[in-house]
Amino acid sequence: MCSSAVDLTGTPLFVHSLVPFHHRGVAAAVALSLSLGAPVARGDDEVTEPAVRPTALWLVAQLAPSPEIAYGNTVFRFGLRWQLTPLLYSFGIHRRLSPWRVAIVEPLVRQSGSVELFLSPEYFVRGPTFWDGWLWRAGVRTYLPLIERGDYLSASLGASCYDFAGRAGASFEIGAYVLFGIVGAQITWSPRSGPAQTIATLRLRYF
Amino acid sequence: MAVAGCTRLGSPSIATAQPFFEPPAHDGPVAAGSRLSVLWLGHATMLIQMDDKWILTDPFLVDTMGQIQRRVSPVGLDAKRLPALDAVLISHMHPDHLSLGSLERIERKVRRLFVPEGGLVYVTDFAFDARELRTWRSFEESGLRITAVPVDHVGGRYGIDSAWMTKSFTGYVVEYHGLSVFFGGDTAYDRRDFQRTRVLFPHLDLALLPIAPMHPRAHMRTLHMDPDEALDALSDLGARTMIPMHFDTLVAGTDAPGEARELLALQARARGMSDRVDLLRIGERRVVIPAPK
Repeated sequence: MCSSAVDLTGTPLFVHSLVPFHHRGVAAAVALSLSLGAPVARGDDEVTEPAVRPTALWLVAQLAPSPEIAYGNTVFRFGLRWQLTPLLYSFGIHRRLSPWRVAIVEPLVRQSGSVELFLSPEYFVRGPTFWDGWLWRAGVRTYLPLIERGDYLSASLGASCYDFAGRAGASFEIGAYVLFGIVGAQITWSPRSGPAQTIATLRLRYF
Repeated sequence: MAVAGCTRLGSPSIATAQPFFEPPAHDGPVAAGSRLSVLWLGHATMLIQMDDKWILTDPFLVDTMGQIQRRVSPVGLDAKRLPALDAVLISHMHPDHLSLGSLERIERKVRRLFVPEGGLVYVTDFAFDARELRTWRSFEESGLRITAVPVDHVGGRYGIDSAWMTKSFTGYVVEYHGLSVFFGGDTAYDRRDFQRTRVLFPHLDLALLPIAPMHPRAHMRTLHMDPDEALDALSDLGARTMIPMHFDTLVAGTDAPGEARELLALQARARGMSDRVDLLRIGERRVVIPAPK
C-alpha cells in the first residue's frame, strides 16, 4: 500500500519535516524538556507542540483558591488551598508530543494520566496572627483517567510533606475529579496528629 | 436512487417535521448501489461512504457533551454498527466535536485520525494513527486524499488555551475516485475562505455545512453560520449538493427547537436552491451519487 503525506504542490511532507517546536512561554520548560530527552516528534509528518504561555486569565485562575475543611485536635477549621505545578509528566498525552509541562498544564494533559510535583500553600483560620495560619506543602501526585480519558472522571493519589506552625510532617491524599478536572474532591490525611490532621478539599482548578 | 427515508426540501412534509425524534430503523450504514452516500448520526457526525472508503466526521457518539449538556436526539447509528473507518476527521477541539469517549468507542475501527494544526495535544494516546493537517496540506493514501481547508472558528478546548491554539480549527475536502466532499466542521461565514477552497476544488459533489446555532446572532455570527449564510457558502463553494448539520442535537444558543431546519427550508425555497439542499433527519442516509447500473 502506498502511503505518503503531501502538500498541495505534491511535495512529500517529509521534505518539510523539520519538526516545529514552538517557543515556550517559560524558557525553563524547553531547557528541562530537552535535558530530560523528551520526545518532540517522530514520523514523516508535522506535529505542533502547543505554545503554552502564561496569560492574564491563566494567572487569575491560579489565584483562585480551593476551599477546605481541616480537622485536628478535636477542632474544625476552614481553610483555602492554592495549587501550583512546578513540573508535570503526562503519560496520557499523545506519544508524539512532549509529555513535560512546567507550571502551565492543560486540563486534559493532567487528567488523562500524569505525575506532578506540586506546591500548595494553604491558609487556615488559626492563631493570633495572620502568619500563624499558613501551611506549606510540597509533594507528588499521580492522576489516573477513569472515564473519557479523564475528561469525565479521574482519580489521584499523592503524598506530600508539610510545615505548619513550625511542625513538619507527611501526608497522604486521594482525589476524584469531574468536569475536565475543574471540580474535584481531595482527602488529605497525616499520620501525625495536629491541627490539620485530616483535610477535605473541594478542589477547584482551571488550568 | 436509493434513499432511506430522506426528506428533500421540496417535500410538503417539511413544514410538519418534528425536530427531535428517534432515529429510523434501517439496515445499517451501507447504501446499496451507491458511489457517494452520507448518513447523519447527529450534530456534525457524518458517515461518508465514497466507493469502498468510509470517513467519519467529528464523532459525537455519547449521551452528554462534557457532562454539561445531554443530547436531545439519540445517536443516529450505534457505534457498534459502524464499518471500519479509513479516516476520522476532527474539525476542532471543542468537546462536541472532539469527544474522547466517542473515540474510545470506535478506537479499533479507526485507521487514521486527522486534526487541525496544534490539535494533537487533545487526542491523547489512542491506538490509531493520528496526525495534524495544516491548512492547505493534504494526506493521500490508496487514492483517498484529504486536504485541510480554511474555515472561520475558534481553537482551544478550555478557553484559556485559545490564546495559543489560534489555528486549531479547520474544514476538510475529501477526494476519492473523482468524488469530492467538503466538510465544514463548525464555522462562521467567510466568503473568502469558501471561494479560495472553490479555486482548488472546483467540482465539489457535496458540501456538509453547519447551519446553527443562530441566536443571539450578534454573538453567534462570529462563530457559526445560520441557514442563510450556509446557502451563501454553498454558492461560494459551488458544490452540487448541500447537507446541513450541527442542529437538533444539542441545545445551543437561544434557537427554538427545529428553528434552523425550518428556516433553511424556507430560505432554500425562496432562493431557488431547494434542489441543491438535502435535509436529513438524524439517522437517515442519503445516496448522493448512485452507482452506475
